[in-house]
Amino acid sequence: MDPRIHRRVEPEKSAGDMVVEWLNEASICGNEAVKVQNLCKTQEILLNKEPLLLNMYLDEMLQFAIDRNAEVRKTIAGFIEDLGEKKPEVIPRIILVLIRLITDPTPVVAKRALRASGRILRATLKWAASAPIVTPDMENAWAQISGLKIQIINMIDSDNDGIRTQALKFLEGVVLIQTYPDPDSPKKPDDFSLEDVPLTLKIARRRKLEEEANHVMDLLIKFYGSPHVSSVNLITCMGSLSLIAKMRPQFMPNVIQAMQRLQSDLPPTLSDSQVTSVQKQLKLTLFSLLKHPASIEYAQPLARQLTQLGCKETEILKYFPKPEDIKKVKKRQQENVAAAIAAKKARIEIPVMSAEESEAVPLPVPPPKLPDLIELSDTFISERLSVEIATELVMDSMAWVPDTMTSIFQREYQPTATTDITKQRQVIGKLLAVQIKQAKAKKIKSDSKEVDIVMEDLIKNPSITVAEVKRERKREKDREKEQQAKASLEAHEKSLAKARSRLKSLKLSEVTKPLLKDARDKMLLMAVNRILATEKSGILGGVSNTRMKILTTLAATFNPYVKEAILRHITEDMRTRLELALCWLYEEYALLQGFQRRTILCSKPTEAPHQAYNFLLCTLVSAIDTIPGKDRDGLLARLYLEAPLITEDAVEALKTVSSEESRGLAPLQLLKELVVRRPTKQLIFLNVLLCHTGHENSMIRENAIQLVVQLYGRSELCKLIEEYAVLYLGFLRLPSPPEIVFGQDRGRPQIEDNWTESTTRACLSLYLALLTEHHILIHELARVYTSMSADVKRIVLRLVESPVRTLGMASPQLLELVENCPKGAETLITRIIHILTEKAPPSAELVARVRELYQTRVSDVRFLIPVLNGLSKKEVIAALPKLIKLNPIVVKEVFNKLLMTHNNDSGIPHTSPVTPAELLIALHNIESSKAELKTVIKATSLCFAEKQIFTQEIVAVVMQQLMDMTPLPTLLMRTVIQSLSLYPRLSGFVMNILQRLILKQVWKQPKVWEGFVKCCERTQPQSFAVILQLPPAQLIEALKMAPNIRGPLVSHVESFADNQKAHIPQSIMDVIKGKPPILMHDDFDIAPPGDFPIERQDSADFENLEPAPPGLD
Amino acid sequence: MPASNSISVAVICSSNMNRSMEAHAFLSKKGFNVKSFGTGDKVKLPGNAPDRPNIYDFGTTYEDIYNDLLTKDKQYYTQNGLLHMLDRNRRIKSKPERFQLSKDKFDILITCEERVYDQVIECMESRSQEDNQTAHLINIDIQDNHEEATVGSFLICELVSVLANSDDLDNDIDELLHEFESKFDKSILHTVLFY
Repeated sequence: MDPRIHRRVEPEKSAGDMVVEWLNEASICGNEAVKVQNLCKTQEILLNKEPLLLNMYLDEMLQFAIDRNAEVRKTIAGFIEDLGEKKPEVIPRIILVLIRLITDPTPVVAKRALRASGRILRATLKWAASAPIVTPDMENAWAQISGLKIQIINMIDSDNDGIRTQALKFLEGVVLIQTYPDPDSPKKPDDFSLEDVPLTLKIARRRKLEEEANHVMDLLIKFYGSPHVSSVNLITCMGSLSLIAKMRPQFMPNVIQAMQRLQSDLPPTLSDSQVTSVQKQLKLTLFSLLKHPASIEYAQPLARQLTQLGCKETEILKYFPKPEDIKKVKKRQQENVAAAIAAKKARIEIPVMSAEESEAVPLPVPPPKLPDLIELSDTFISERLSVEIATELVMDSMAWVPDTMTSIFQREYQPTATTDITKQRQVIGKLLAVQIKQAKAKKIKSDSKEVDIVMEDLIKNPSITVAEVKRERKREKDREKEQQAKASLEAHEKSLAKARSRLKSLKLSEVTKPLLKDARDKMLLMAVNRILATEKSGILGGVSNTRMKILTTLAATFNPYVKEAILRHITEDMRTRLELALCWLYEEYALLQGFQRRTILCSKPTEAPHQAYNFLLCTLVSAIDTIPGKDRDGLLARLYLEAPLITEDAVEALKTVSSEESRGLAPLQLLKELVVRRPTKQLIFLNVLLCHTGHENSMIRENAIQLVVQLYGRSELCKLIEEYAVLYLGFLRLPSPPEIVFGQDRGRPQIEDNWTESTTRACLSLYLALLTEHHILIHELARVYTSMSADVKRIVLRLVESPVRTLGMASPQLLELVENCPKGAETLITRIIHILTEKAPPSAELVARVRELYQTRVSDVRFLIPVLNGLSKKEVIAALPKLIKLNPIVVKEVFNKLLMTHNNDSGIPHTSPVTPAELLIALHNIESSKAELKTVIKATSLCFAEKQIFTQEIVAVVMQQLMDMTPLPTLLMRTVIQSLSLYPRLSGFVMNILQRLILKQVWKQPKVWEGFVKCCERTQPQSFAVILQLPPAQLIEALKMAPNIRGPLVSHVESFADNQKAHIPQSIMDVIKGKPPILMHDDFDIAPPGDFPIERQDSADFENLEPAPPGLD
Repeated sequence: MPASNSISVAVICSSNMNRSMEAHAFLSKKGFNVKSFGTGDKVKLPGNAPDRPNIYDFGTTYEDIYNDLLTKDKQYYTQNGLLHMLDRNRRIKSKPERFQLSKDKFDILITCEERVYDQVIECMESRSQEDNQTAHLINIDIQDNHEEATVGSFLICELVSVLANSDDLDNDIDELLHEFESKFDKSILHTVLFY
């Protein structure tokens, strides 16, 4: 229907007037739009509103078919189409116009006319089929239609593409109308086919029509395969063929063949995109054919074709007929064969009856169409109802007459009033006709009720037997039919039984009620447990992977009980089932990430999305934790390294595990591995590891530090680690340790207020460890050191030892630090230098730096101590006064440094800038202004304490040299006395010294003199010889100072032989004897010659005691 | 009647929201006799997450959808342009139309993606044939976003103008389409359907 129909009708005018007006306007007016509109309005009136006017104005309308305007002609073609459909009786009047329009030079009109032709053809055939009598008009029209067909068939070679398209569609219609429909497929309501054409139609014989259709079909297929066909026509033709194949399955094989041919041989004229379009269309067409039940036999080649067109296997399988369908079709074919045989049997009977009838009613024409021919047939029957036939009918039906008269018969039967035989004949004929008609209409399947009615009707009639005969025949036929049906049923009972059983099972599933939830869950769990129990057989059967897949899917998607069961199964034997656990983890992960769109049966909306995953991972971790033995660490490592995601809880668990001493190094090692291998979570694991570097437990701490130091080598991490270490180092500035170093995870549950070694270590250890790797860090340490509290400093000084030792004194950073020592860090620097020089002599650079520092900035002599050995002799001696003022312990250490001839590790003899003798001499030479005598004394006594170094010889050398000095060192005599008390054997030597001291007029230096006397006092009796050499004045003084020597001295002198006595000057003797001194000898300062023998004896004594030290002579 | 009005055009996409409506707006502005449709089961619009689209029935009016999104997340849907699009749509017609339910006949059907093209063919084939009126089904692939839809609407308009100017479309269409393809370097699918 054209959408532009104008439905408004002016009410004041009559329809006829309006039509006239419109048509006039249309014919006069030159405007195309107005014309079309008016024609449409007229069409509406004529066809729908006032059909009576149609006859009057039809010719006027058709006049417009020769209008100059194409649009108008097109409208007329549409009008003809509608008209033909609605009023087929006018077809003879319009067909010529249509034929003219088809050859219209304007393609639009021709196409519209072609479209109309298809429907006119159909309408004509319908009209002819339903008309009781073929009129000459009809015959004429049909002849013209046939001509039209031929004309249109030729049009598929038209130059215009669109015309070809419409011609094709017309031919499609021809094929569909003039063939038999598929008996199996349900009939569509508007489908008109050859089946609906009565056999009796003279003008259009079925066989002829079918022949024509087959011919057209061949044409279509030929056209389809022609090389010059355009894309549009190819697609159209494809659509037509597929439609025909689907509606008329007898053509299916041909169509499929044609499709195959096309695919292998596309027209060369098509452009690329047209090829794509055509192939796509072909694909869709093939799919639709594949879907159709009639193509089942060709499913395989169709599928192959589709695969060639690039269809996916799954897509094809979706439309591929199911195997049972294929079987069904085969079975049906067999049935059809059987039915055909049965039908043949039946037909043997049917001709008997028709023969009877045709004998009785020898019609000049084949049996006309029944509904319209009631009058005809009853006159026919009554005319031909001969005596013989009547007799036969009566004889046959005698057996069916009931024994007693039926009540209906009694009530309704009225004997015929008339005796006119012709009238009676007519009545009988009518009844028979009705009977025959009903029998045909019901296809001899009339039910008993209607039979009764028929019977009653007949019973009213005198020739009752005729009805009986009819009935009997019917009954017989029914019986035969039943038998046939039975036979065919039996023939296929087996296959049917099969089908039935399948049907039953289907029904069972429909009937079954869902189980109760508890029972269902229980059975589910049991099933899962059975799967779990198949571990070994699964491996033996080589399906362990499949089993694993099933279990993981179940575990991840089913209810908590299933999860629990599988989890328990895994944790029972983690060693062998870790693989399964990991699979499950991955499944959970996939669900968590939404990689798999699957409904999770058990998830609760309130749960965090990774809850399930996290729970599983943590459970696995704790399950591994309970495993005894070595496997534990391996499994743990595998789990952590292979799991797709490590959640926070899992990190926490690993942290706890790794802070247990009993677990050893493995968890820490794992942490390190994780840092390296899991870059996304690197920082988290690194943080755990760093946290452990401040652990109370030294084993964990040290291991953690070691691992962190290993990681420190990685460029991406070193910055972070360094920052962490510096941060913690910074904590040491605080007055009390920060809370962060306490806590269960650090091994220090209680918070302390004061720094202890442990907390200091926590903050410093990592830093110191890094220091050995990265020397530059030492500056920061020194900076922080300045602001540490005293306690902390002390601890730091202690802790710093081993890292500094590994640092070595060659480190440029260290040297730089020494050079730029920050204020307040002196102690640290001193300590560092000290540590460095403890076991090795200081290097020249170090010495130079320290010296510079000492000279320019910090004049603390303690700096020099460690590098003393590197200093020059002069420097050492210059520093000596300051050094000895220090703490005695330090002084001792200083001396050790200077004096100890310990060999260092390398075995090179250590050389001190000063020899022990030089040291001792230097001490003696310290001016009193620079150091108090007391401190010097202490220092010297420290020297003497070192018997190993200050041996007899050295002491002797020292004394010898000291002797030579002028003035004599204050402490000379003290040293002499001490030497003597240490080495009594030196007495001879000492005597010698004493004598020489006399020569040097020792009494002029009161302190020395005092010592001299003391010495003499101690060394009596050997010293007597010396004493005796003193000048009298000094002797008196000496005796005064040491009164207790007088006695022994006197007795000593007394014991002298006389000649010996003679050597003693009188003045001396007087002194000894207590006589007042003679002052004349006051200036006597040269030893008298008489000394010699004594001296010789003394030296002899000396020689006896000890060999003279080398160089003494 | 002017040539541009004499042919009826249908622009079809999946949800009758973006691409078909863009083209509908553009073509009707140019004076063509145009309608637009969707072939999907439901009207689907992107939601605030890829797996949570907004789904409506084909009967829902643009107005209702607009208000629904407005209450859901005004800022988000303003930002991604959905509200703007719906605002335009509701000025053109009241609600999305499903092609399968339409009884109108068209000379040219233009689809915006191959899946839609297939669905149109499937739909047309499942109908029983009435009067063999031809309709040309043409597919131009357009990605489903605002920018591509705009570009696509220009293309469609260009194509429709060319086709509308033809005196005998059935005869010329192969050539016209070929020209169009080579001009815009865009491959198109074309088939013929019958009502």
